[in-house]
Amino acid sequence: MTMANIAPSALAALTRVRCQIFQTAYNPASIRTGAKYLRKRLRGPSMMKYYPPYEQLSLAKLMKQYPEWDVVDEDEQIRLRDLDQRKKRGKGAPKKAKSMEDSRRSKRKR
Amino acid sequence: MPNVNCRVLRDIKARKGVQQNELLRRAYLYVARDQRQPAQVRHQAQLQLNTFGKYTRPTTVKNRCTETGRGRGIMSEFGLCRTVFRAKARNHELPGVHKASW
Repeated sequence: MTMANIAPSALAALTRVRCQIFQTAYNPASIRTGAKYLRKRLRGPSMMKYYPPYEQLSLAKLMKQYPEWDVVDEDEQIRLRDLDQRKKRGKGAPKKAKSMEDSRRSKRKR
Repeated sequence: MPNVNCRVLRDIKARKGVQQNELLRRAYLYVARDQRQPAQVRHQAQLQLNTFGKYTRPTTVKNRCTETGRGRGIMSEFGLCRTVFRAKARNHELPGVHKASW
């Protein structure tokens, strides 16, 4: 008896039984079930392990943590002083637009 | 001391985002790709997927050099870029790696 002589329904029944025995999903029409998104391992935990842990020491963090130490950030002081001078010369940042009409964006050529 | 530049920080941010949102994203992916679900449900799930930020997708994560932060020329088994890999290999800091000679 060749394969051609077996009824399609019998073949389908055989497949169903085979799926039951080997505990696989019976999906004769090969419909996408999205099961692969549930089956795959989560990649986040291993992704987090890629870089070695590091602790960045910053002056701002230090000042926040120990306010009683009176740490002075010299670069920040210089920046603020320069900013003040620039503002006096009228070179400061422009005022925020209150409405859409005030904004320079609306006047921009396209 | 590894060189942590802004691109490495961005990558770390992406990794954190992926880890935090992975479970929920997977659930939506499952519903959106399941052909047995009604089309409307699948579409809603897809719309929900689109609301997640850029740094929650695993494809935004890039393996950079853990020493220099370089993005290209990475030896993935060591997580090092080609120059650091070469320097370390020559200093015998990578076990089992030595310069070929025949």
